[in-house]
Amino acid sequence: MDFDAIVIGGGHAGIEAALAVSRLKFRTLFITQNADTIGKLSCNPAVGGLSKGNIVREVDALGGEMSHLIDNTMIQFRILNKSRGPAVQAPRAQADKFAYNQLAKWTVEKQENLSIFQDTVVDFLLNSSGTKIEGVVTERGRKFTAKTVVLTTGTFLEGMIFIGDYSSVSGRIGEPAAVGLGTRMREIGFKVGRLKTGTPARVNRRSLDFSKMELQEGDSEIIPFSFSREKIERPQVPCHITFTNERTHKIISDNIGRSPLYGGKITGTGPRYCPSIEDKVVRFPDRDRHQIFVEPEGLESEEMYLNGISSSLPEDVQEAFLKTLPGLEHVEVIRPGYAVEYDYVDPRQLFPSLMTKRIEGLFIAGQTNGTSGYEEAACQGLMAGINAARYLQGKEALVLKRTEAYTGVLIDDLVTLGTKEPYRMFTSRAEHRLSLRHDTADSRLLEKGYNVGLVSEKNYSSFIEKRDRIEEVRELLRSRRLKEKDLQKIETEKTEEILRKHRGKTLEQVLKDPDIGIDDIFAVEKEIECSSLWLKQIELDVKYEGYISRQEKYISKVEKMENMKIPASFNYEGIEGLSNESRQKFISILPQTLGQASRISGVRNSDIAVLMIYLGRRKKGDNS
Amino acid sequence: MKNLNYDTDDLIAALATPWGESALAVIRTSGKNCIDAVSAVFENSEKIKKAAGGTLLKGYITDPGSGERIDEVVAGIYRNPKSYTGEDLVEIYTHGSLPGIRAVLAALKKGGFRDAGPGEFTLRAFLNRKMDLTRAEAVHEIITSKSRKAQSLAMARLSGNVFDRINSMKFQLRDILSGVELQLDYAEDEDDPGAGIDPSAVEAVRRELEVLASTYRIGRLYQDGVKIVLAGRTNAGKSALFNLFLKEDRSIVSDIHGTTRDYIESYISIKGVPVKLFDTAGIRNAEHPIEAEGIKRSEQIIDSSDIVIYIVDSCEGLSTEDEELLDQYGDKNIIKLWNKIDICPRQILPEGFVPVSSFTGEGFPELEKLILDTAYGGELSSLADDAVIDSERQKKHIDSAVSALQEAENAVKINVPLDLIALDLKEAMDNLGEITGEITSADILNNMFSRFCVGK
Repeated sequence: MDFDAIVIGGGHAGIEAALAVSRLKFRTLFITQNADTIGKLSCNPAVGGLSKGNIVREVDALGGEMSHLIDNTMIQFRILNKSRGPAVQAPRAQADKFAYNQLAKWTVEKQENLSIFQDTVVDFLLNSSGTKIEGVVTERGRKFTAKTVVLTTGTFLEGMIFIGDYSSVSGRIGEPAAVGLGTRMREIGFKVGRLKTGTPARVNRRSLDFSKMELQEGDSEIIPFSFSREKIERPQVPCHITFTNERTHKIISDNIGRSPLYGGKITGTGPRYCPSIEDKVVRFPDRDRHQIFVEPEGLESEEMYLNGISSSLPEDVQEAFLKTLPGLEHVEVIRPGYAVEYDYVDPRQLFPSLMTKRIEGLFIAGQTNGTSGYEEAACQGLMAGINAARYLQGKEALVLKRTEAYTGVLIDDLVTLGTKEPYRMFTSRAEHRLSLRHDTADSRLLEKGYNVGLVSEKNYSSFIEKRDRIEEVRELLRSRRLKEKDLQKIETEKTEEILRKHRGKTLEQVLKDPDIGIDDIFAVEKEIECSSLWLKQIELDVKYEGYISRQEKYISKVEKMENMKIPASFNYEGIEGLSNESRQKFISILPQTLGQASRISGVRNSDIAVLMIYLGRRKKGDNS
Repeated sequence: MKNLNYDTDDLIAALATPWGESALAVIRTSGKNCIDAVSAVFENSEKIKKAAGGTLLKGYITDPGSGERIDEVVAGIYRNPKSYTGEDLVEIYTHGSLPGIRAVLAALKKGGFRDAGPGEFTLRAFLNRKMDLTRAEAVHEIITSKSRKAQSLAMARLSGNVFDRINSMKFQLRDILSGVELQLDYAEDEDDPGAGIDPSAVEAVRRELEVLASTYRIGRLYQDGVKIVLAGRTNAGKSALFNLFLKEDRSIVSDIHGTTRDYIESYISIKGVPVKLFDTAGIRNAEHPIEAEGIKRSEQIIDSSDIVIYIVDSCEGLSTEDEELLDQYGDKNIIKLWNKIDICPRQILPEGFVPVSSFTGEGFPELEKLILDTAYGGELSSLADDAVIDSERQKKHIDSAVSALQEAENAVKINVPLDLIALDLKEAMDNLGEITGEITSADILNNMFSRFCVGK
């Protein structure tokens, strides 16, 4: 074997996969079509967002790279949803996309055990029965053998871009697609479909009039994505907001016939949550305006990204409607918006480890599995990398539960339900989002990252220190009662008045009062002193304990089903009483737990009950 | 996610004997710490907690809230693993009256038990290896056939009206929740994601659910039938009236006192409403032991009835015995009949009496109308075409939905963050989904995308 592992594709999934396998000491080959575009932010220059920010922090807790890349290259930071509850707040950062790309490239180049090679993979090497991966073949005819391969092709697998009548075989504008491998996957027997996504125009900052737009500044306090960092001090630049209007919409409606989307050229399904501007105009004719964010692409570039107005209309139409936006009257387009259509592999053909059911040793991650977004790609890449390494180690795959990570929700949804449009994470996809706060990603996952071998001793011991300290403070809050003389320590009268009615209660009970903050408690009891982020976490844990425990009750209920494993060799044909529909679904999905089986769409409760009986029977059989 | 009812060791309870009047009924309970849980509704709780497996204890089931006695029962204690299910298990032997069974089950639910699913005790028995393979084959038969049957029964029972109304409320909640989820998932980039939550929309759904919940009593009467007892002194014409109701000669009609020694029951239908009709032995101070026994049983029937029709022979007039008996019925619904008006038309009709002739049928249509008005307290006319819920399970889910929505309304008032309120809304929606079918998070997202313009 030339290598232990091969990772195909230099995007956000590929980076995580390649770094994870090589950091776990396996000789890894990282094949990309272009070594300059490793970690390129193809669409918006930002990382994080609602639920996505949580995913980035999960990646960090498991020992991934994305958190570090964004922490070092961010140019604006915000916590979104500050006015809402703790479960739906999330960090988001504007990235200097050039710096991000550069740092990503440099990081993989420096990585021990990892070799980078520029070429395009066009075929797989399989064993004689075609059931096991043995390596890859490139466009230039090179063959590399390895025991495991991670495929992360993003939008490049048979990618095709569209702008009006123009189309080109590309994965990104100006970059050739990976041709051949998609066809090969179909020949091997994979179910492969087409998806579509789009991106807006990039324009020159010089040509914009910001005085006609609203200003959007970042937060003054930056919370690092990585748990291993205390703080971040970087220059912050603002974004701007402008709006479309009736004139914009008229130009779009008048030219809708020239859209490749509406003209029928594009067959792939696009994301409903991130529609192109032509989609918005057609589907929501009552809306008289749509919000557009003008975001800088980098500190050392004049390119600006127009968030919210992606389009594949012809370039003259794009320029015409952009000029109707306040502040964009004299806009100069550097790169037009375009749509891209690409192959994706129906992810129901994967195990929750992300290994394909069809070919042993072949893992697939990222946009190839039908997702959308850098963060969704990164967490899959990391899990595929970890599981490729565990496959090489002969260890059981690491599968995160829905109850412990958005990453778990995402992969479970993909492999159990599949997807018909590019899949984006939403907090509402998680049944237990209160337990999946971004600030608790370390307590949920860091130990797992350490056990896998990707989290350093140093980071692990600071985590243990944090965990113990938080537990100490919680204990103190539970035992210490509010006394009369404590009231004098309070500075403002308002708080004193509120505190007065809590005399005799424990500080934990006092903190549950919506009008009391952790700072008020700190004024009373200095012993609780610790990092302000930790205090914040303690405050949220205490305040929402009631709600969280309601969820935990539910979690413990589903946990039992999750813990009932279905053996890989389980014979569904031999089970009487299953409905035929469910039987076919079980055979095609091969659920690994009873919980997963119960989530397959259209499976009846009675079928799950029958399964449960047979699983019980096996257990008995095994023991006798 | 599916809410699978076959959890593996939580507390379940169900009537093990057929649902109907009988001398004795057995309610079976099982689950982890089942004996402790039953002790919470058992008067002598310490005794039951300490009871050894395989013993019987006499005592009272009490309301876990008020401590009030509900019924005198015998509890059979089985300790894990020596029980049918292999878990701690308690069998409660109680009197076989439907109201009594219902009260005991309600007390158990308050004490943390839930209704067992079809075949669930047997399923547990299998999972805990209390059953061999051949019997296990039978179990999955039971589960598949029963759940299918139960499903179709439930569907059949759920009249189109109820289904539509609950579904419409479920969809209203889905719309409210989609609006909330939209704000939670798109706050960052929506121009106008809407502001918070409109408590009046939540309240409107809650009120509608409360109305639906209040139909439960009526629904139950519909399902079980209105229990009507014909009472009166011997020879007042009870059996003749009974026959008039039946329109067939089933009860023995004769003019010898005490012909009907025991009671006779029959199901009839008055304008589509099921009625369980009892003809009792004539009340008089019987000396014959067999007759005395019949009279005693008649009194028990009268106690548990919804309506007593008290018949007075107009030819004999209202006696002091009649007045004494009428007094004894206290606040029961009583319809007083002035019978045999065909024979003695000249007698003066006493106040509050309805003139009928069980022989000619005169006054009978008025009587039927009066029965329905009495049974439904005038609610029937307003219900004409409306939805009525008729199962304890539906009632339970609607009640849970109502209280979750109340929580949500309160939470809005005190500015609880939106994502927490979403939890209450979800809970309410899930409860309605238990009745008419689940709404998944994918459904919510679909609704979100179709109703709102989203996405940067």
